[in-house]
Amino acid sequence: MSETPEGGTPLADEYPVYLPDPVVDAAMRMIVELSAQLWVERERRMVTEQLLESRGLLSREDIESFKADPTQVAEIKAERARFLEDVFKELKRIPVGPSHSKSG
Amino acid sequence: MSKVIDSLPSLARRSDVAYLDFVEGFREFILGKGADFEDRLNQALVDEAARRGQDWQDVEHIREFVQQQPLGCLRDRLARTQQEMKWHALVRSFDEQRAKLVGELEHWASRGPGDLLLDPEFVPPSYVNVHFHLQPGGYFKDELSGFLYHWGTKVFFRGDNDADQLHARLTRFVPTPADGRVLRILDMACSVGQSTTAFRRRFPEAEVWGVDYSAPMLKVAHRRAAMLGDEVTFKQALIEHTGFADEYFDLTFAFIVFHELPLRVIEETVREAARVTRKGGVFAVYDFARTADKSPFQRYHRWFDARHNGEPYSQDFCDCDFDGLLRCYGFRVDATPLGQRAGGSGYMQNWFAIRE
Repeated sequence: MSETPEGGTPLADEYPVYLPDPVVDAAMRMIVELSAQLWVERERRMVTEQLLESRGLLSREDIESFKADPTQVAEIKAERARFLEDVFKELKRIPVGPSHSKSG
Repeated sequence: MSKVIDSLPSLARRSDVAYLDFVEGFREFILGKGADFEDRLNQALVDEAARRGQDWQDVEHIREFVQQQPLGCLRDRLARTQQEMKWHALVRSFDEQRAKLVGELEHWASRGPGDLLLDPEFVPPSYVNVHFHLQPGGYFKDELSGFLYHWGTKVFFRGDNDADQLHARLTRFVPTPADGRVLRILDMACSVGQSTTAFRRRFPEAEVWGVDYSAPMLKVAHRRAAMLGDEVTFKQALIEHTGFADEYFDLTFAFIVFHELPLRVIEETVREAARVTRKGGVFAVYDFARTADKSPFQRYHRWFDARHNGEPYSQDFCDCDFDGLLRCYGFRVDATPLGQRAGGSGYMQNWFAIRE
């Protein structure tokens, strides 16, 4: 909780936990993030396939048999790192310490 | 995907646009009828009050009840998450093209139509040192704060303001003075200037000013207005000390700013509006509805928004006697709930006040 410069309602901490179990809280955030990532990919695939089809440039088989060259591999890995950071950054926000120990 | 107006800056990647499109849709889903959190939680509150045989009094008791409900905890988690996701995506996308966007602002700063009057000696007061709506850096610490705000509010309005249609509609509702004279208009806390330009279009012969403390906001406001061809002037100043002459304006306007001011500044701003609005002129305010008009869940949401969405002063505003304050400084108040007048959600209210 933090006070404002001039009264009002004290603000929540930077990373508040809303669900009783902080791990479930993080899991919920990751589910929403995964949903966003899924939508981003689906939207891009739809656009790509629509463009390819309308221009007669590519068949589905071309995609299935694609082999990336080293530059392309590096690009895909960088994108994978970005994806992992987006979804699993939530893990860094799970609080730890005596006050967060599981009782019983 | 929602149409993006031209004055919004492009995002770095198509995937950024798609990501924010998801956030916009998700926001609509969890705040609207999709997940139906509001009606279900409000009904639970109403049922509980009936069971106890007493209406809800203290918001703290409402909070305790909602946060005991798994649905309430989940709703809060998701409401906070969609806001965090929005800023995460926007900040990263703007960081990737920061130099280009800063260059765009510099390009438009010296071009018209309209003027941009910045104060190099301006020092922001301490009360604005808040990350309103969780926007990283608040409204003024990032040179791209205006672009962040513009994109952020595009998502906030869930596609209903992509072409500034909300601002056009709300400014159209504002009554003119009884004598019909509208030569000068002031838009207090104009942010990126959507109301400012809407007034210029409604009153093409009027001298229209937008005032805000944030230079990054005003730069975006001027760029946007110039791109649209709207001749208005943006000035950096505090809305509680605008620097204009007494009774300079026929129409003074404040759109959703009072809930972001401490009580002291709320009063100072009403006093300033009374000073710069001429006798018979109109002071039009759109802002959060007062606590007394809210459902139990709306009262909870106001608390949540204050504490968890960077709106620390909003509860005090909703609890204060704003009508009384307007009357105290010489306004005659006509406050019809926006919901009855404009199909609003019940969270908003308007005050159309006449300077006596």
